[in-house]
Amino acid sequence: MIRVRTTVNGRVREAEVEPRRLLADFLREDLGLRGTHLGCEHGICGACTILVDGEPARSCLMLAVQADGRALTTVEGLAPGDGELHPIQQAFHERHGLQCGFCTPGFLLTTHYLLARGEDLGSDEELRAALAGNLCRCTGYQNIVEAVRDAAARLSQGGLR
Amino acid sequence: MLRREDPELLKGKARYVADVVRPGMLHAVFLRSPFPHARIVSVDASAALALEGVHAVLSGADLPGDLGPQPCNHLYHGQRETPYFALARDRVRYVGEPVAIVVAESQYLAEDARELLQVEWEELPSVGDVEAALADGAPLLYDGWPDNVAAVYEAEIGDADAAIAEADVVVRERFAIPRLFACPLEGRGAVAEWDAAVGELTLWTSTQSPHIVRDYLSWILHLPEHRIRVLVPRVGGGFGAKFHFYPEETAVALAARATGRPVRWVEDRLESFVGTVHARQQVVEATMAATADGRITAVTAELLGDQGAALHSVSYGPLWLSAVMMTNVYAIRNARVRARAVVTNKTPSGSYRGWGQPQANFVVERLVDGVARELGADPVDVRRKNFVAPEEFPYTGLFHTFDNGRYASLLARAVEVLDLPAWRRRQEAARAEGRHVGIGLTFYVENTALGPSRKLNAGGVLAGGYDIGHVRMETNGEVIVYSGLCELGQGFTNGIAQIAADALGVHPDQVTVVTGDTHACPVTGYGTGASRSASVGGASVQKAARKLRAKAMAIAGHMLEASVDDLEAENGEIWVRGSRERFVTMADVGRAAYLRPIELPEGMDPGLEAIEVHDPEWMAWPYGVNAAVVEVDVETGEVRFLDYVCVHDCGTIVNPMIVEGQLHGGIAQGIGMALYEELRYDRDGYPLTGTFMDYLVPTAAEVPRIRLAHDETPSPVVPTGVKGIGEAGAIGSPSAVAAAVEDALRPFGVRVAELPITPERVLDWVAQGTGDLVA
Repeated sequence: MIRVRTTVNGRVREAEVEPRRLLADFLREDLGLRGTHLGCEHGICGACTILVDGEPARSCLMLAVQADGRALTTVEGLAPGDGELHPIQQAFHERHGLQCGFCTPGFLLTTHYLLARGEDLGSDEELRAALAGNLCRCTGYQNIVEAVRDAAARLSQGGLR
Repeated sequence: MLRREDPELLKGKARYVADVVRPGMLHAVFLRSPFPHARIVSVDASAALALEGVHAVLSGADLPGDLGPQPCNHLYHGQRETPYFALARDRVRYVGEPVAIVVAESQYLAEDARELLQVEWEELPSVGDVEAALADGAPLLYDGWPDNVAAVYEAEIGDADAAIAEADVVVRERFAIPRLFACPLEGRGAVAEWDAAVGELTLWTSTQSPHIVRDYLSWILHLPEHRIRVLVPRVGGGFGAKFHFYPEETAVALAARATGRPVRWVEDRLESFVGTVHARQQVVEATMAATADGRITAVTAELLGDQGAALHSVSYGPLWLSAVMMTNVYAIRNARVRARAVVTNKTPSGSYRGWGQPQANFVVERLVDGVARELGADPVDVRRKNFVAPEEFPYTGLFHTFDNGRYASLLARAVEVLDLPAWRRRQEAARAEGRHVGIGLTFYVENTALGPSRKLNAGGVLAGGYDIGHVRMETNGEVIVYSGLCELGQGFTNGIAQIAADALGVHPDQVTVVTGDTHACPVTGYGTGASRSASVGGASVQKAARKLRAKAMAIAGHMLEASVDDLEAENGEIWVRGSRERFVTMADVGRAAYLRPIELPEGMDPGLEAIEVHDPEWMAWPYGVNAAVVEVDVETGEVRFLDYVCVHDCGTIVNPMIVEGQLHGGIAQGIGMALYEELRYDRDGYPLTGTFMDYLVPTAAEVPRIRLAHDETPSPVVPTGVKGIGEAGAIGSPSAVAAAVEDALRPFGVRVAELPITPERVLDWVAQGTGDLVA
């Protein structure tokens, strides 16, 4: 067993883990942060996307021990409070950018990363390419693309939390 | 109205089956067959069981002697039985068939233990495709069968042979439709808990059909239905795959009973590729005949359905539906179809959005385009000439009776929305520059509002087509709707809440919809599928809500000393027409009904509750046009969208946002079928695709922006007028994409008769093209 000390959504978490334990399992099973979903466990679908020191990462392709000393953001860390939604979440809600919701946490964190860069989202083709690391089987992506643009507009007014 | 479940989903607070945690819960994994066809000589679990933390290993030999086979609820006349069990008893027939379940303290440990299982196999000869399975001397999957044909279905109207003999033009083609699967982002999973004290089994499972799961478990385990409670947590998409009842659900229940502990199994993606039902795969030889002026006189189709190793929950239903849809929306008086359901050593085939309709649509629409090509006619004109006319409804084709349709006007609208003439001009200009742009425009019809029960039963389906709506108003005037249908992400509970709110005169926020609990929710005849939730489910809830409203109004009228006929209700308030200040609230009514029955009219029973059944008179038939504009790069074989339009009519629309989302998603799946997705097997039945690296689910970069337009022709057979929209997008899109690619490659004389249209195929077609057709 190896000791891991990591910051998750601003809180320091420490635990003893097996060296082989996946980061996704550590988050879900050990910390109870079940908003991170596993859709393929081979790094394609992007449902398990989290931010590691601000960069998107597949938590199914990382070991828990690799998160030692890092700062992680999961979907649970986005909304400012219980009754509130983050502007990105609000945009997905209003644009119907989700159906079953299983892939949604990954899309939200990818979007967070894209918007935090502060760069222009570019053409639809460029934005769609930037989102192509996340699979969705329900929406056909159209409303996700619109939600991301809507979120960008909201955040350009309020700034990314 | 925005969806009520969104905040929970967006905040990561929703609980799917993999998030169900029970005290003392153990974890299960399955050992699956690595062979397409083999005998199991022995399974030795001693080394696995010796590992600390391993609680049980069950294989076929450990199954109770009286355990029933996994049921098939579609028992079409004359089909052969293909019994299979929760775990293979002595023989496996496909790679991925469950052989043993290993139960341990953690999933990691269970996987370690699985490595230690020693299985002695005796390999058997196998077949990996339908044509090989039908060849003389082919290995047989089932002892005692003369061949590998599980069932044959035939139907005919008119005299197809005579019509073909007299025709001016005859188009013949062999179509190959690939093996796909629904592939929801959330795989399957189940958690079972056995309460020995009361003899009750609780199963959390990611399903579309909780009552079917309950009933089947009851038959298999010989437990009474009321001692089985099936609970459905959040479901991460289903698309038909989760309509089915699976061996793993039985095995997890058995493991919970054997260990006395709750047991959770969560399918991983790799096992989903072989463990979850596949779909679609057919070879169809079809013929269409027409007169010189473009009137279609006959269609015939010889269908071979690749069922895989067994007839799963819905038997060969999708293949049957393909066969009877071979006239699509056209008034074709002569038609003959024969469908043969063939078993092969591959994962069983079953449901996926559209059932057999995408295949039939692909075949018929490709043939119609073929007729237009042979006649040098405009494909739009050929379609217009052959539609069933509005005054001909109800119209019966090969089997089904269509409720209504205004096909020609919808097609005209689609031509306008697409701006077909402008695209034809751009196509010409592109060709002049050596670019290959193509336009495909096809027509679909979708079978929705599945019922009626008697028709289903007469066809051999061991299920009804009804739905039961249960509506209750509480003391505080809030409303709870209980439905046996399931929320899978399609958002139907929002529509149900709107329908109930409208009928009752309350605000939708005052309505809670409860689903996914067989102890609380009424039975639905068929489960959540066949685009029936909004239509049949909505109608049953509307009926119940209206009945409840009548009682609430009677109470309110008594309280207000006014005639019921003079009352109006909205947003939970009831007032006397013309004097808005004379009102009571639903909370006042609820209080009287439950706490102060002294305020009720003389002779009225307390309580505010209604249960009503809706069994549709017939199915409903939404329809529409898909129009795709593509550019094909003949150097790389890449197909790129320039435009995509879908114009449709799904009857009355309750929530336009949800309807549009259903179309977007369905069309994306149809584009996957047309261009990317295929579960490939070798000739012996070994899978060649098993990850998202080789099974290509479309991403945002491949799916175009889709332009939608709606018509609204209410269904005459559904009380709300709602037809349904769940499957439409997936049905009509593959044929449109195929037509567009063929149109783009017209200078090469290419015919698109097989999917998916991969770059390799495009390059082959271009290289082999006859080049003898009109440029």
